[in-house]
Amino acid sequence: MTGRFSVSNLGARYGRAVVLHDVALPALRDGEMLGILGPNASGKSTLMRRLTGEMPGPGDILLDGRTQREHGREGWRRAVAAAPQTPPAPSALMPTELMWSTARALGLALSDAELAARIEGIFDELGLGAVALSPLATLSGGKRQLVGLALALVRNPTLLLLDEPTSALDLHWRLAVLDLVRRRLRAQGGLVVAALHDLDLAARYCDRLAVLHEGRVLAAGCPAEVLTPDLLARVYRVEAEVSADPEGRPVVRALRAIDPGKGD
Amino acid sequence: MSEREATLLNRFTRIKRRRVHLAFALALGLIAVFLLDLSAGPAALGLGDIVRGLFDPGSLELRDRIILWDVRLPDALIALAVGAALGLAGVETQTILDNPLASPFTLGVSSAAVLGASVAIVLAPSIPAVPDHAILPALALLFALASGGFVLLVVRVSEGSRETVVLFGIALVFLCNALTAGFHMVAEAEAVQQIVFWTIGNLTKAGWAEVAMVFACVAVILPFSLRHVWLLTLLRGGEAHARSMGIDIARLRTMVILRSSVLAAFAVCFVGAIGFIGLVAPHLARLMFGEDHRLLVPGAALCGALVLSAASYLSKALVPGIIIPVGILTAVVGVPVLLLLLWRARRRA
Ligand SMILES: Nc1ncnc2c1ncn2[C@@H]1O[C@H](COP(=O)(O)OP(=O)(O)O)[C@@H](O)[C@H]1O
Ligand SMILES: [Mg+2]
Repeated sequence: MTGRFSVSNLGARYGRAVVLHDVALPALRDGEMLGILGPNASGKSTLMRRLTGEMPGPGDILLDGRTQREHGREGWRRAVAAAPQTPPAPSALMPTELMWSTARALGLALSDAELAARIEGIFDELGLGAVALSPLATLSGGKRQLVGLALALVRNPTLLLLDEPTSALDLHWRLAVLDLVRRRLRAQGGLVVAALHDLDLAARYCDRLAVLHEGRVLAAGCPAEVLTPDLLARVYRVEAEVSADPEGRPVVRALRAIDPGKGD
Repeated sequence: MSEREATLLNRFTRIKRRRVHLAFALALGLIAVFLLDLSAGPAALGLGDIVRGLFDPGSLELRDRIILWDVRLPDALIALAVGAALGLAGVETQTILDNPLASPFTLGVSSAAVLGASVAIVLAPSIPAVPDHAILPALALLFALASGGFVLLVVRVSEGSRETVVLFGIALVFLCNALTAGFHMVAEAEAVQQIVFWTIGNLTKAGWAEVAMVFACVAVILPFSLRHVWLLTLLRGGEAHARSMGIDIARLRTMVILRSSVLAAFAVCFVGAIGFIGLVAPHLARLMFGEDHRLLVPGAALCGALVLSAASYLSKALVPGIIIPVGILTAVVGVPVLLLLLWRARRRA
């Protein structure tokens, strides 16, 4: 089977500012995870917003042989779920209520008992059981980020989009979340696209990487091809050493910033 | 199903059940306050007479029957309807603008209504097919709806930006107030007094037709609000999430502002710009029902009705023989309640 998911010629703009140019992403096969790398403001979140369908623009997004448009708004909503970079707002709402209203607003065909079981299962995996009925405002930023992930998982999507899912998490949960995502891919297949800040985590968990720089893809492919000292110098403006771990995946050690005063 | 899985559902259900019980208690309280409101007034008509007269009008003397059915019932009922309309409009506006201080009034609806009333009082225009006594409410309604229309236009142009909408609403309030002040300048003293009296708000001018119109407005709009309760609830989780689910926030915002503008316009056009109900009722409801809009939306309507009904009772009972304009009471009672709620919310956050 060839790719289940591919993206080409993708563009995006805010008003007159074009922030994505002709973006093409490596095709993904079932069970694969794609990492989107790139410095701040390189367009990662915008790419995610194009993939969720919330933002219009040119380009071809293909999932299981059909374009985003052919899936239709409802079809895309059933197949794709995203955890945006901003975690759920700190309101008086309880995580369970938020999960529940999301599932019901989107029309998930589950009985109350099934829905409760699914929510509880996800909360258990994400360590949210103890705060399931506490106001979101009383949760830490990290916990709220986990609720954001839970909101995407409760929909059980084919394509899971994660925008910096680990940025507010401590070391344990950073690994635990990505482990969970991989476990899910192994167990039930599907696809994941994740914008990631941490190069080593990206190299370790992703099958494919694409590096964005000022709205263009500068490199794409498997981690060992993509993460080279050359590219790190160009995109992140750091001098870095790249070695390989025992399983052959690249490990990056940034040594120093290149010309911190000067622009590119 | 494992025992733990049953637990979340059980615990969640228990919370929901408690809230439903609270809603029933609120409804009972509302009936009690409504009867109390009916029993208050210059004429000596006790609670017993009232209840008897409600179920068997023939049992009352003609004079008492007229007082109950033509004076007190319309006043008491319009308090319920206006309170419910303002509570409902308030809660939806607060959620959609993610702003606990928002209400339809902050978007200019009531200021526009006051301006419309001022036009009617000062210029006393005659409109074909509108009887003279209906010109004031008609113009108040027209101006209020027009201001709602402007706000909707801005929602559209700004693609649903919250900040723009709120800023435009504030600008609209200032503009209407300035124009109303202009009318004060040129008006006779008596007209100014009339404008001020209308601005404060009072319930005693209502008849059955007005009651029916405000109730009809609430009855038509409430089902549309209830259809949006899931969306409104999930919106409390933040705009980014709602957008990522492909929810059209600008459209939702447009519909909510349309609904609450119409509700607020109908609420104020007959009884004047009764303040603070649209602000306080949603906060009271949130204390009881949390953020789950399935109960919060109807709960805010109930709270609004209860608060205005209580204010109506107090306006008659506080100083025997004198009816204080109800708007003064809602402000005098509403401000401290609001401060208390905000202080509590701040302490909890
Ligand atoms: N809502 C917006 N309106 C205007 N410009 C935006 C908006 N969101 C992002 N941008 C701009 O688009 C570019 C890409 O931003 P973003 O996709 O958030 O990058 P990243 O997620 O990689 O940090 C940045 O230059 C940013 O300033
Ligand atoms: Mg981003």
